[in-house]
Amino acid sequence: MAQGRSVLITGCGIICAIGNSKDEVLSSLMSNRTGIGPLKYLRTTHTEFPVGEVKMSDNDMEQAMGIEIGTPVTRTALMGMIAMHEALGEAGLGREDLKKCSFVNGTTVGGMDKSEQFYTDFIDNDTRNEYIKTHDCGSCSEMIADRFGRFRYITTISTACSSAANAVELGADMIRSGEADIVVAGGSECITKFHLNGFNSLMILDRGQCRPFDAERAGLNLGEGAAYLVLESAESAARRGVKPVALLSGYGNACDAFHQTASSPDGEGAYLAMSKALADAGLKPEDIDYINAHGTGTPNNDVSESQAMKRLFGNAMPPVSSTKSLTGHTTSASGSVEAVICILALRHGFVPVNYAWANPMDDGIVPNMELNPQRKLHHILCNSFGFGGNDSSVILTATD
Amino acid sequence: MVQGNKVKILSAKQISIQNPLSEEWMESPLEYSGSYVPAIDPEFRQFISAGDARRMGKLLKRALATSLSALKDGGIENPDAIITGTGFGSVENTELFLDAMVREGEQMLKPTQFMQSTHNTASSLIGIHTHSHGYNSTYTQKGMSFDCALYDAWLQFSLGKIKTALVGSHDEMTPVFAGFMRKADHVKAGEICSEAAVSVLMGTGQETPAYCTMDGMVILNRPDEDELARAVLSLTDGNAPSAIMTGVSGNAENDSWYSFLGRLLPEIPLLRYKHLFGVNFSSSALGFYTVACCLKKRLIPACLTKDGNTINPSGGILLVNIVEDRHYSLSLLKPILCGGL
Repeated sequence: MAQGRSVLITGCGIICAIGNSKDEVLSSLMSNRTGIGPLKYLRTTHTEFPVGEVKMSDNDMEQAMGIEIGTPVTRTALMGMIAMHEALGEAGLGREDLKKCSFVNGTTVGGMDKSEQFYTDFIDNDTRNEYIKTHDCGSCSEMIADRFGRFRYITTISTACSSAANAVELGADMIRSGEADIVVAGGSECITKFHLNGFNSLMILDRGQCRPFDAERAGLNLGEGAAYLVLESAESAARRGVKPVALLSGYGNACDAFHQTASSPDGEGAYLAMSKALADAGLKPEDIDYINAHGTGTPNNDVSESQAMKRLFGNAMPPVSSTKSLTGHTTSASGSVEAVICILALRHGFVPVNYAWANPMDDGIVPNMELNPQRKLHHILCNSFGFGGNDSSVILTATD
Repeated sequence: MVQGNKVKILSAKQISIQNPLSEEWMESPLEYSGSYVPAIDPEFRQFISAGDARRMGKLLKRALATSLSALKDGGIENPDAIITGTGFGSVENTELFLDAMVREGEQMLKPTQFMQSTHNTASSLIGIHTHSHGYNSTYTQKGMSFDCALYDAWLQFSLGKIKTALVGSHDEMTPVFAGFMRKADHVKAGEICSEAAVSVLMGTGQETPAYCTMDGMVILNRPDEDELARAVLSLTDGNAPSAIMTGVSGNAENDSWYSFLGRLLPEIPLLRYKHLFGVNFSSSALGFYTVACCLKKRLIPACLTKDGNTINPSGGILLVNIVEDRHYSLSLLKPILCGGL
């Protein structure tokens, strides 16, 4: 069992392809509505790839956040602000409270959306220097934080597709150790031409709707979004008179130590991350009521993750699904986007469906296709695995 | 915390614009002028096979060399945690990929360049190379990247989750990105834009003679002077350190951020390292490394002091790093007590 204080979640916020708020995301999940479709906002020649874009332009988001036209800001930062706004609102945190709060953000592309647009200006002249300042990932976190006030500590984690999960883990460690009372943690990432082309060069993008855990799966669909959890100590929540929406009862981080862009065939890193999370929460495999899998839809991930889940859960396999066939793969944000989806599942008593699945894989898991749960949901395990074998799992627990 | 369980620095290695994997700079530092100076690389053959080296950018080669060297020096094969900082990551590959995409279109792009552009490749590579399945993470927060990685390690030690950690920070440059560093004011007038790879091995065990102990750290965003005073007091417990290592660089704006130290801890000598190592997003790791070297040697060499005199660091050294006058990092390192540990 873990040392230190327990970690409450007293608020959360989300924006992704299936909704610009928790309510919208909940409604899409309950009605199995995918957010994946043809490209609309990203300017690229690769229109053959369907994506899970947030259904707002940069200008729409600037207006929603009351940002003056012409202010240098990136899409990743804008989505982060929208999710942060919702999370702080639910937790009842105002500008003055932020002095006691830390912000742990996960992102990998940072300001690349603007850098790829203005790259030749960066080199040839001084007209876009303000966007050189927003290129690095750290500046993205600063932009999001500064919109709301003065946070006590700001840091950025960049472990590719597990960034947001690792941000949540660091935030929780800060609460457990007594280093912080409140930490806003999660991640934000917009789709860029840079990583759409990067994933294409690795040949892991599906030209149709992605199908995690399906025998015919042919890769992932890129998504984008942001989500944050407000992590808080029980003492602080009691002092402020706020009730938790869920508990963060355990988590684990492990390294597959196998390959920079491929997962090991036996899913060692994934197995270790899930095992550590269970041990940390003091739970047994049979206590888990649902697994929100990393489930990208790439041939490699879904085999490796299936093996890891089978090794750990054996005959006690709970319902498993990937929500990436609804949201797209929100990369650095996926850990917190999917954690918020798990919190919605706990609070509203449903099991997200593995949209677009039809054919069982050889030796793979058979994902959940039934929204109504067989039993009440108490504990949900949520997986996030990144390039480099940066594997992380978190466990979300109901408050009752 | 009892002395025996204190967090100790077991080894610290650097590749920079000073001689690589060496402490020669303490006696006879290399001196530079100009706006951009690349690092001096060691022979990588002793750490990496030629075949592997060809597939790696210079950041990855340097990260692996400093890491393997620190692990060997500290007598540890598999650290419990590998935590890395980088401000910009492997910019050489980022630039190649970006340049090809923008100038030649979205075809024929190279997966290796994309893969190496991801910031966590260094931490992952070290994990793969040393078969370390433990905690693995990467931080990126401009010139605070190393400090953020160090703070995570400090937390993991405090929670008793780990007994050893390899903490590093690595930033490479290209002429194009060195230009970006200036355009974005990350490197200021009078400062040399440089490169750095630093790996620090930390542990709470007794395995090896340590360089020094780490006695605490705090990072604050936009603190006021009262908060800074409280942070310094809680770190030092009211005992004045022998010296304070600062990020003073000769640039007036940058140096003014450190003026609160004169008010808070008057009479304590201020040290500097950026005139020897230049400025990049990982330079604060070099500050940490120089402090650890001074405490190991029990001597602050003349090249780090303002007046050119050496100092005995018996009371420990407070390390202060400030980025853009908003991120303030303070950490305290102390010499190993005689006959102790």
